[in-house]
Amino acid sequence: MSIERHTLLNLLQTILRELGEDLGKDSLLQTDEKTPLFGSRSELDSMNLVNFITEIEERLSDDYNIDITLANSSAMSRTRSPFLRVGSCVDYIIELIDKQNNE
Amino acid sequence: MSDLAFITGTRKGIGRAIAEHLLSQGWIVAGCSRRDNDLKHENYHHFNCDVSDEAAVIKTIKTVKKTLQPIKVLINNAGIASMNHLLLTPLKSYQDIFQTNVQGTFLMLRETAKQMSRTGGGRIINFTSIANPLNLEGEAIYAASKAAVESLTKTAAKELAEMNITVNAIGPTPVETDLIKLVPKEKIDSLVKQQSIQRLGTHEDILNAVDFFIKPQSDFITGQILYLGGVN
Repeated sequence: MSIERHTLLNLLQTILRELGEDLGKDSLLQTDEKTPLFGSRSELDSMNLVNFITEIEERLSDDYNIDITLANSSAMSRTRSPFLRVGSCVDYIIELIDKQNNE
Repeated sequence: MSDLAFITGTRKGIGRAIAEHLLSQGWIVAGCSRRDNDLKHENYHHFNCDVSDEAAVIKTIKTVKKTLQPIKVLINNAGIASMNHLLLTPLKSYQDIFQTNVQGTFLMLRETAKQMSRTGGGRIINFTSIANPLNLEGEAIYAASKAAVESLTKTAAKELAEMNITVNAIGPTPVETDLIKLVPKEKIDSLVKQQSIQRLGTHEDILNAVDFFIKPQSDFITGQILYLGGVN
């Protein structure tokens, strides 16, 4: 199983855009790799972030046949959360997919 | 199209009875157990899956959605018990009981709720036991595992409410199943005497509670622990 980095970035931006439309938050309609996903500068509250992560997992499974769990212990124990920004989240997902492919 | 219910532990006992009951009502049923299942029905689909195995649970729940349809009802029935005096309880018993009863319930709930959150919601029923409220001697670890399931049920009900998912638990009295076949009769008699209604439970008692939690009108009922036999 694999996915190109730019395809994955597009997927995350699409999900954020849909969330933005649902929530009425224009800043989520145009995002880039530096867009914060949590913290004081993020437009997402904690439940929005839960929904965002769940949506990524489900779409990777449904559309790309990639079955991974994003919220695992390695992500939670890092000093720098992979969910800090869109770009770091993309890198983390690529890392998880590579790891699963090598198991 | 009929809705799909996923039931864990359908090979025998209560899980099997629930599967047959829902099939008779026109549901599509997917079920799992660690070993093969001889339940044959055109609308029954079996998966060999250990509910405490994270990878297996993820694969099973995603396969159900891809090959059948999204899950509308999850019934976390799979469970194991072991009677022993606390001082003679091996660590392995503790680990096995918590892995199946608590970890299994958690993993199934987590993966299914993710799916339900995208498909308009659903109903989740966990299984506890009167062993917890009655503080049954000889069942310390089993009762502790069910206390954990009850706590998980109540908190999950709050966290998942906004996703239109209800989470409740049924706490049956002893029923004639494999779980109690090795328990001495005096022990069962003494347990039944602690119930308001003093008899063994039946599968029908449990099916009635399942029907109640999954009926459309029960969408305002969540986070509840329903003990049978008048135990509270």
